[in-house]
Amino acid sequence: MNLVSSVLPAKIQKLDLQTWLQRGLLIIALLFLSFSLLLPLANMLFKSLQNKQGEFIGLTNFSAYFSNSALYSSIANSLTVATISTVIVVSSAFVVAYTLTRSAIVGKGVFKIITSLPLFAPSLLPALSLIYLFGNQGVLKGILPVESIYGPMGIIMGLCFWMFPHALMIMVTAFSNSDGRLYEAAAALKTPAWRVFLTVTLPSVRYGLINTLFVCFTLAVTDFGVAKIIGGQYNVLATDIYKQVIGQQNFHMGAVVSVVLLLPALISFWVDRRVQRQQTAQLSARAVPYQVQKSVIKDRLLLLFCGLISLVLLTIIAMAVYASLVTFWPYNQQLTLANYQFEDMDGGGWDAYFNSVQMASWVAVLGTVIVFISAYLTEKVNIMNNWRKALHFLAMLPMAVPGMVLGLSYIFFFNSSNNPLHFIYASMAILVLNTTVHFYTVCHLTALTSLKQIDAQFESVSASLKVPFYVTFWRVTLPLCLPAVLDISIYLFVNALTTVSAVVFLYSADTALASVAIMNMDEAGDTAAAAAMAVLLMVTALSVKIIHWLCSKNILSNTQRWRSR
Amino acid sequence: MHSPYLNISHLTKNYGNFTALEDISLQVEEGEFVCFLGPSGCGKTTLLRSIAGLEQNTSGTIHQAGKEISQLPPQSRDFGIVFQSYALFPNLNVSDNISYGLRNKKLTRKAAQWRASELLQQVEMPGVELKYPAQLSGGQQQRVALARALAMEPGLLLLDEPLSALDARVRAHLRQEICMLQRKLGITTIMVTHDQEEALTMADKIVAMNQGVIAQIGTARQIYQQPNSAFVANFIGCMNMLAVSVKGQQLTFSAGQYLWSKDIASDISNGHLGFRPEQVKVLPPDLRSIPAQSTTGLQIAATVISITFMGASIRLRCLAQGCTIEVELPPSEPYSAKAGSGDKVLLTIEGDKLHFFANPSQQSTDSPAALVTAIIDQPLIQGAI
Repeated sequence: MNLVSSVLPAKIQKLDLQTWLQRGLLIIALLFLSFSLLLPLANMLFKSLQNKQGEFIGLTNFSAYFSNSALYSSIANSLTVATISTVIVVSSAFVVAYTLTRSAIVGKGVFKIITSLPLFAPSLLPALSLIYLFGNQGVLKGILPVESIYGPMGIIMGLCFWMFPHALMIMVTAFSNSDGRLYEAAAALKTPAWRVFLTVTLPSVRYGLINTLFVCFTLAVTDFGVAKIIGGQYNVLATDIYKQVIGQQNFHMGAVVSVVLLLPALISFWVDRRVQRQQTAQLSARAVPYQVQKSVIKDRLLLLFCGLISLVLLTIIAMAVYASLVTFWPYNQQLTLANYQFEDMDGGGWDAYFNSVQMASWVAVLGTVIVFISAYLTEKVNIMNNWRKALHFLAMLPMAVPGMVLGLSYIFFFNSSNNPLHFIYASMAILVLNTTVHFYTVCHLTALTSLKQIDAQFESVSASLKVPFYVTFWRVTLPLCLPAVLDISIYLFVNALTTVSAVVFLYSADTALASVAIMNMDEAGDTAAAAAMAVLLMVTALSVKIIHWLCSKNILSNTQRWRSR
Repeated sequence: MHSPYLNISHLTKNYGNFTALEDISLQVEEGEFVCFLGPSGCGKTTLLRSIAGLEQNTSGTIHQAGKEISQLPPQSRDFGIVFQSYALFPNLNVSDNISYGLRNKKLTRKAAQWRASELLQQVEMPGVELKYPAQLSGGQQQRVALARALAMEPGLLLLDEPLSALDARVRAHLRQEICMLQRKLGITTIMVTHDQEEALTMADKIVAMNQGVIAQIGTARQIYQQPNSAFVANFIGCMNMLAVSVKGQQLTFSAGQYLWSKDIASDISNGHLGFRPEQVKVLPPDLRSIPAQSTTGLQIAATVISITFMGASIRLRCLAQGCTIEVELPPSEPYSAKAGSGDKVLLTIEGDKLHFFANPSQQSTDSPAALVTAIIDQPLIQGAI
């Protein structure tokens, strides 16, 4: 009796206001990702096992899929273009990353800027540009080794352009984390250069290389934009989903293709996580940065290679810009701005553009808040450990979910009249929600990395000083993570502005988006206007990036003074 | 009835199947300076964090100032804490760091700043209010962390290896200052350390821990002079350990035997005879023929195999029938100047300087005892006191 009475009040007191608040936030974060990711996906899996009347028919849809060669041949097509473009991109990104980090060439800054440009373009842009370069009326049609650019050749070239900066970023990071002492030790042991490369350089970037392979493969196998514009009769999985759903209104077959597309992405995600887990910190705190050695011949060759890559990237961008300014290709090459008068065309006109900017801004603001708070909950709050693990898992999952699959899942989930959240269907809100979730994982990892760099004892110290956790979050954690928070916001903005795959299923007449407008104008034959819109998106993304960079510099110089010694 | 300031009773902490703390009972008096000492993984930090509420204990109770606190969250307990990593908020200046908790107590900004300056005086760091942590050295940062922990005038100060990240000179200096400050303020303090020297010099009371249990509690003198187990004897200071077999009170080892003066439980068949290197007297070769004065002590004939000059002392390593014995001689000892490798010497240890540690009685196999022997037969140089 005595025991009970002495324990009970303590138990009740233990769950004080702060703990309740933390629990509440954690549950809200879990609910958010459940309703915006897990339940829609589960819904889609169910739909793939139902017929049009909504009756459960087991794997019948799948057997129908695999008995139709027009459908299942897309699997081989997708894997082929993904494999080839991954090999090309990763090997060239490897060399360029090596050049930018390990050679003494001049103009590294210029190369860095040029090679990052594709990040700001929708994946539709290279496809459109390639049509002008190698299409039936193309400037360089003569040097194309195959019959037509419409097909695997075009898809591969477009993907290579668009994936290159993604691969380069990971490879540059991998090459930057090197310990100069290992090279000094190798030199002291009189190791020939090729052996140093094989035994020191390659192992140190091993994980980065594997990571790049998986990221690129996933991007390539799930991309919709390039294949939609330039794929021609060559079907891939992402375009199949679109054709089934939009073309034939066969939602259930769309769900089946989605499941098929989800598989390679999930496998690559799983393998990649396994590999990352093997990675131990290779860089000790005492590592000495690598000092670049000059080598005239090597540097010249590398410079030549970087020059070539930059030339290719710039040509594709320049062609798109030029095409958007030409009156009527190729017959009237008078320069004009007529192609930018979108109100005269299909697809939503200038409204679509402003919708896109509005959507991207919402995603940048709301997405950053949501991502950062839930990353904080997974990393810094010491309650309900299994729930926190679940939250982390849900945050990692979007990386494995192709945009097309996520978009289709949203139709199934939110368009059902039984769903109390039905009201957001066909609104701006669903586009913001979908896009936030689509790009969630990279932001989550960025936030997590910066949170992990903060001393784990800050929360303990605050508790001992009787300061509530939210005060420490506001006064210490957030200011320390400000650079990461700013990075997340611009990443979300640029991607939300240029994405096409997920939102292609979700826009309505009032919420048409610029990237979708590009696709529709291209379909309607207004290729020049499509190129104009693609260029406009790219210019917008770049300008916002530059403004963001200037503001960040200003903010950081005011708030991060403590970093200087 | 007198009740201690901090009373931990039957505290247990499990992580799944792993027992980090097992049935810990411990009392800390008001104003006392207690050190938790033990090798890494012994549970000392877990015990400290349980007292702070940063870890939740599985069972048992903790009473602080008469109040049961083991179920309270850390912010409802009364303690200040200093970590090895300093854990200063890097984006706040020194003054804001120290007054971080004060602002919550409805103190005005000015009053809080004034209090911060006062605390900086106390840790002998005046005038650094506006600097950021990155602009201070490790020792200075730790002083600021100490000031911050004291700012809320807690009843209990917890120090989690506060000196381990500092270099030797700063460490020795700060050690003294923490002691002086603690005595001056009379604040009950618990420090976790794996450094025996730190524990011996600073603590009123040492709690030696091993594998989640308390091995021994006592003053520095008690722990050093009367270790109650081979573990404590070895971990604190350095001790020669001769593996012995037991028959009645007769202890037999490879280089001789010794009649133990006290009773030994009848089920004990193995154990160790221990003595500190500085307790060994050396009779050099030319004096060996003279009969030893002491008959109550232990005598071992041995050969010197190496001599190490340690500055304040000379260390001899001797071999006697397979036993390695470490001997520490003061430079004042005449033999220390002329000792040579290969000398045949007679080692003598007074009876009251000898310790007998029984091996746990073997119920099933020999393996636990063999394990203890294996650990203890390691070379015993662990740094002199």
